[in-house]
Amino acid sequence: MNAVQRFIRSRVLLLTAAILIVAMCMSVFIQSQSQAALNRTVDENSRGLYDILVQAKAGNTKDGGALIQPDIANGQGGISFQQLEKIRGLGGTSVAAPISLVSRVTQNLEAPRLDAMDYLGYNAGLAGGATAGDPTGTDSKKWPAPESVLPAQPKKYRLTATAVSSDGVSQQTLFQASAEGTLGKGQVVEQQTAGGKSIRIAGPAGETGIKFPAPAGGSEHNLFNLSVALPMAPQVTESVVAVDPAAERALLGSAGDFLAPLEKAPPVDTRNAGAIGRYFEQLFAKSPTQQELEQGPDFLGVKLKYWAPLMTQYQQAKLSGQITDASQAIPLIVRQGTSLDLKYSVKIQEIDDSGKVVNDVGTVSRSLDKDYLPFVSKSPFALEWPGSTDHSQLLGNTGNFGQGLYQPAQWSTDFAAAPKYKDGEASANGAVGKSAMPGDWVTVNKLPEKSAFGAMVDQAQRKPVDERSYRENLSTGSKRATPLPMVYGTFDPAQIQKAAGDVNKLPLGGYDPAPMTLQKDAAGNDTAAKGLKPSLSATGLVSQSAGAITDYYGLAAARGYDSNANVIDAVRVRASAPGNWKQAQPDVDKLAAQIRDMGLEATVVAGSAREDANIFVPGYSKDDAGKESDLGTVVQSWVRQDAADAVSGSLTSTNITLLFLTLCGATLLTGASTVSYIRQRRSEAGILRAMGWTQKRVRRWVLEEFGIGAAILAVAGIALSLLSWNLATVIVSASVLLIYFAAAYFAAQQLRHRDVVDQEPQHDERLIAVDSPLTFAYRQLVTNRFNSVALAVAVGVFGAAVGALIALLIDIPRAAGASALSGLASATIALPSVTLAVCGVLVGLVLTLVTGRFELRAKREQLGTLKAMGWNPDMLGQVRFFENALVGTAALVLGVLGALGLGLLLAPYAALWAALAGLLAVLCWIPIATKVVK
Amino acid sequence: MTDNLQPDLTPATESTDESLLTRANTIVKAEDHATPLQLSNITIRYGGDKGGAEPVTVVEDFSLTLHAGEMHCIAGRSGSGKTSILTVGAGLTLPTSGRVLWEGDSLEKMGDDEIADRRRALIGYVDQGGALIDGMSALENVLLPAVPDGEVEQRTEMAKDLLDLVGLGRRMRHRPAQLSGGERQRVAIARALILGTRVLVVDEPTASLDRTSANRIISILKDTTSDGIAVLVASHDHELVRLSDTLTELI
Repeated sequence: MNAVQRFIRSRVLLLTAAILIVAMCMSVFIQSQSQAALNRTVDENSRGLYDILVQAKAGNTKDGGALIQPDIANGQGGISFQQLEKIRGLGGTSVAAPISLVSRVTQNLEAPRLDAMDYLGYNAGLAGGATAGDPTGTDSKKWPAPESVLPAQPKKYRLTATAVSSDGVSQQTLFQASAEGTLGKGQVVEQQTAGGKSIRIAGPAGETGIKFPAPAGGSEHNLFNLSVALPMAPQVTESVVAVDPAAERALLGSAGDFLAPLEKAPPVDTRNAGAIGRYFEQLFAKSPTQQELEQGPDFLGVKLKYWAPLMTQYQQAKLSGQITDASQAIPLIVRQGTSLDLKYSVKIQEIDDSGKVVNDVGTVSRSLDKDYLPFVSKSPFALEWPGSTDHSQLLGNTGNFGQGLYQPAQWSTDFAAAPKYKDGEASANGAVGKSAMPGDWVTVNKLPEKSAFGAMVDQAQRKPVDERSYRENLSTGSKRATPLPMVYGTFDPAQIQKAAGDVNKLPLGGYDPAPMTLQKDAAGNDTAAKGLKPSLSATGLVSQSAGAITDYYGLAAARGYDSNANVIDAVRVRASAPGNWKQAQPDVDKLAAQIRDMGLEATVVAGSAREDANIFVPGYSKDDAGKESDLGTVVQSWVRQDAADAVSGSLTSTNITLLFLTLCGATLLTGASTVSYIRQRRSEAGILRAMGWTQKRVRRWVLEEFGIGAAILAVAGIALSLLSWNLATVIVSASVLLIYFAAAYFAAQQLRHRDVVDQEPQHDERLIAVDSPLTFAYRQLVTNRFNSVALAVAVGVFGAAVGALIALLIDIPRAAGASALSGLASATIALPSVTLAVCGVLVGLVLTLVTGRFELRAKREQLGTLKAMGWNPDMLGQVRFFENALVGTAALVLGVLGALGLGLLLAPYAALWAALAGLLAVLCWIPIATKVVK
Repeated sequence: MTDNLQPDLTPATESTDESLLTRANTIVKAEDHATPLQLSNITIRYGGDKGGAEPVTVVEDFSLTLHAGEMHCIAGRSGSGKTSILTVGAGLTLPTSGRVLWEGDSLEKMGDDEIADRRRALIGYVDQGGALIDGMSALENVLLPAVPDGEVEQRTEMAKDLLDLVGLGRRMRHRPAQLSGGERQRVAIARALILGTRVLVVDEPTASLDRTSANRIISILKDTTSDGIAVLVASHDHELVRLSDTLTELI
């Protein structure tokens, strides 16, 4: 019988080789599939809106792999239009979209008022003309009966106006002002005048009215309401970002359609604010139609829906002398709504002469919510007295055309210092901790020096508030002049974020903000994750979407440039190279090099991904005594450069380690099973020796059989290596083969001649007496020490391998890193990795069971003997269980310590889990092996 | 030991007849169970394998009544079904058809646990070659049947007596590997008798033994019958056949 025949005859060797080959094939197949899926995920998700971020030289130097701060529109400028055009002219450029921070704009919301229903009914002298010819007005015969929430006899009231802002952590009362006076139901007064009768509305006799400090104008009766002028709402600061509408639309796709009106914006030489104002005055002199008023008059091809603010501001600027020949109108697309937390409320109390409250009428309030648009207001900022009904609709829509801003926005290019960041320690998952170095304090919540009508403003009614600001100082421009905002439309920041994608999105400062979440308070204690809301007295670290977007003519206008200067903060470049990141990378790198040759900083952001940065924020708030308080630790989404390479590299190595571990575990167990098998062949070897074979020849006889197995494994390994064309497969195959050879050599050594009978000692009285299934099982294991130890080692190795596999699986997210891409990538390989690990565990389990099965025949005879002696099935089951339990107990040490050691070596963070997994694997093996022996 | 070709029917060890009788008299009450084992119309068939091999009928319609104190020998060529009948009789396997009755009770109605308990009290089974447990001394092997009832300690003296009885009083500390084939058979017989067995089922006790050893085994078996123990033995040993009370020859 030749070696091949002997190999085939010895089923165990055949089975072992077969299991190894199957394990190799499955492992390599799963690993290659996993690797392919990983590469695909990383490549597909590593190319976002743009590939290269261009900034001025030294504007933002970054090392490879660093985190990019979520603010690239920093107002520093440094890139000229000529450079932009040159970038666009490069062969590899598909889109080059510039972006700049134009300015901060401070504005007062408008003059707020409290309306108390004081409807006097239809009176032709007061309202007749107003409803004539207006189809939206109500016929005079259908006007309801008069009604009022005010008493016929004036009563004394106290009104308390309060504005509160909150960032979600702390609340700031921006001002609180009270005013007292008597109010009563209004009446129509007919007076005889020289030319006839005149009709007017007047308060009841004895009414004093209520007046807050200037610039509030006091209370007055009109046809539908008693209106009390309230203190001015706090100033709101908004930022304006400039883009190239065409390039931005190309970058954002359909999400950038909101920019279409800017593309139609009037050319630069027709933007003279005075000329535009005069055009509107002339337009209104001709009585525009109702449709024109509602949809906005056509201004050089653009429907200017929000025309009222422009007109209001033009007239006020003209009145106050702020508008000059150089003043320009800036086209704006404003943000929809706002996330600014600002609540304005008025508490109404009826009081007696001593000031004591006799009736709490109620508190009415209004917040800046989605109805609010920066630079424009869709409805007057009016609060309703409790129980009031607004009858002003009886006049039709005409009454609403007065909406809008009443104070010109204050444009400023002065930016306070931005916070600087200092890197801290990296956490277990690779996330970087940072500390913010606070910028300067700036003072907000001030009142304007003069009202719109030039009157002095009582500054005592408002306490200024210090807040951190977040922009660099910028000194540019030469001819400042009051610009007028021309609002063309709105944009939804959420839509832009959505279009930018989730992985490779680079936050663009005020245009595309990255919110912050507070995780630890100033004392370092964990807090319930709370998103910081932008507020009026916030740290300034909390960014907010730009209030408006303009084009580059607007940028130049706001900065007072006559011609375009180096005003571009950054250019986002998309390369024309198609395909995923890996395919496009050479072309992108080449394009970046060309841009660097122009003297600009070019950061390749394709291949980057978002990553949360933990930032400790000191000097967050300041009390009246000027003492600063820390905020704590916030989390903000920054961007990790080269995340794709990092994620791909670390997960690939994890994957290959997993593969190695699976196969090496299987191979080690193969060795154990081989040794057990050799014991079965010992009698055969004895016969051969009796026939005169030498030890050397017997060894060769055994090795020949193993050689067949090794040859099959080698062929399988070569075939797999050629098919997968992967170095890992070659190394794995070679490793398996090497360990198989070692096992074979060791097994052959075990066939040395032993005088089994003669050397067998007599019964040792010190042995535990056999009086139960447990002692019987123990005696059997002690008798067959070699097999018991071999099996225990096999099970221990199995436990250690399971532990190590579990540790690697647990460690995958950490190994992948902290970026958003790593989450996607690890999710991609999670299933194949789990499959690979399960495959390894099953192979290991099967091989331990195969090892156990080599003793199966002897065990079966033994159990048969016990059965014949009247041992019942339960006891036979106990014998099987105790044998495996004792082996498992011995294996626990190796399994747990081995798992712990491998865990510490491969994934220290998961080492304890590895030990636990090793323990469970061995414990689970016990009932499984018991079942198999049955 | 002598090399007699004829079985020596005197006690094989230095122990006396009295010791055996005393043990037998205290445990076995043959008069209560005149027919401890009965096989009725037994058919034993082994199924074919997945390779398409046909089922094999080893024994067909076989009946046997074993009386107390009787030695019944089943003889026949190899593969004639001797061992199959013994394993069925000992309740280790169930017949394809037919009934096995232990002291009048059919095995069909018993569960595995009850069969095991009844077997322990009724039947001592001696496998071909003895089937001793490696790693355990001769004494421990003899005491194994006492483990389920927790009577190891109580039965120890009896086990020693039995080993004396079968001529192994000086080798009770030896392990199976240190015993000859005949000695292993005798240990197995002692083990089969430890619980006061009423039926001794013995498979090929003299196979591969020299004549002297075989005769010693045969004499021990014959001795047990005198204590009221029924012996069912499978063998083609002529001496054993000759000394049996009844004989079934399988074709």
